[in-house]
Amino acid sequence: MQRDESELFRLLVQGVRDCGIFMLDPGGHVVSWNAGAERINGYAAEEIIGRHFSTFYPPEDVRSGKPDWELRVAKAEGALEDEGWRVRKDGTRFWSNVIITALYDDTGELRGFGKVTRDMTERRRAEQQLTDRRRLLAHLVEAQERERQRIAWDVHDDTIQAMVAVDMRLQLLARRLPEEHRGTVEHLDGAVRSAISRLRNLVFRVRPPGIERQGLRDALAGYLADTAMAGEIRSTLERVPGDDAAITIFRICQEALTNVRKHARASSVAVELSTVDRGFLVRVADDGVGLPDLDQGSSHFGLIEMRERAEVAGGWCTVTAVPEGGTVVEFWLPDVRP
Amino acid sequence: MILRVLIADDDPLIRDVLRDVLDDEPDMEVVAVASDAREAVELAERHAPAVIVLDVRMPRGGGAHAAKEILRRAPDARILAFSAYTDAGAVDEMRRAGVTDYVAKGVRNTELVAAVRRLGRL
Repeated sequence: MQRDESELFRLLVQGVRDCGIFMLDPGGHVVSWNAGAERINGYAAEEIIGRHFSTFYPPEDVRSGKPDWELRVAKAEGALEDEGWRVRKDGTRFWSNVIITALYDDTGELRGFGKVTRDMTERRRAEQQLTDRRRLLAHLVEAQERERQRIAWDVHDDTIQAMVAVDMRLQLLARRLPEEHRGTVEHLDGAVRSAISRLRNLVFRVRPPGIERQGLRDALAGYLADTAMAGEIRSTLERVPGDDAAITIFRICQEALTNVRKHARASSVAVELSTVDRGFLVRVADDGVGLPDLDQGSSHFGLIEMRERAEVAGGWCTVTAVPEGGTVVEFWLPDVRP
Repeated sequence: MILRVLIADDDPLIRDVLRDVLDDEPDMEVVAVASDAREAVELAERHAPAVIVLDVRMPRGGGAHAAKEILRRAPDARILAFSAYTDAGAVDEMRRAGVTDYVAKGVRNTELVAAVRRLGRL
């Protein structure tokens, strides 16, 4: 009788299609798989059994050590619930709710983990389409842009002007000084000039991109041309992004292109925009030397800013090194319009 | 012959240093300094300078308007636009207003002085 029950239970778990229910060994390798997991994750049992469960996580989470951290918490506290992006076999992402439960036997030894995964992509999309949320997001993006514009004006019209005057004064002073003191003032003058040039770059980065005048694609092309980098913008977008999505796409691309220009020593860069999962997928790929600190999940190179922007908009952003050289910044934003 | 120059800029720091830089040249004399567009027109009419160093963004009318007004009253005056704005739109507007040359703020003093001298000789 008891055997029948456990057989039925096994059939139940195997047959459930709404959630992925599977087990991990204590080290995090998949040891069982059900129909729901196959449907949600895209792997057949024989493809995934034996592989480490970090396969399901996006590269940025793997880099930050999230999979192992989740097992540690589940082990210490008995269970852990998380919502976040996971990656299917075909590389596409879904928003998932995950419960990891630590399984101990009668002697108190950890036997492994039970994992229940649900695909919440549709519910998340429905939430994002709520008018209040959309309005709040649009307002946030607009307020940020206004703030940037004010900073650009202030720096351009006030700070830089004052420093230009100081620079002119220093040049005048250097002319009048005896030879032995001239070097000091000229050195100072050089420092002021390089600060002016950095401030001009700042103004260039924070000023409004003029998407409403020329469209997203041309605004990006214009920015690329201004940075004097070789590259191209390809777009197969089926729908033009709304104002706030367009500005978010522009700002993330701008950050990515700034990184390429400053650190990657790339000879060319390609920006590709396409429509994926009712949203905008953007890929910025260069052929440079890669970003040195990528693996430390560092706060350098505006990586954090790019991620923040994408995540606030309900999407994701990931930066990966390409084995044959170069870096790819890839991000996706949902199209929250009905 | 001494080159008579008028300076017009709303930024006091720039005004003062411009005057000192140009006055430092033995062949130049700053004859007047204006702090807005209207004053620039008045002083240009009163002093008839050979060269006017004119800021682009200025209160009370702006640089382009001032340039047109000055040239209407003194067609022989040579105007050098001296601006922090180097975008094509700003440069174009000043060219159309009749300025002879356009120099970006931040150039070396020697370049600026050379530009003023060149205009004075035209």
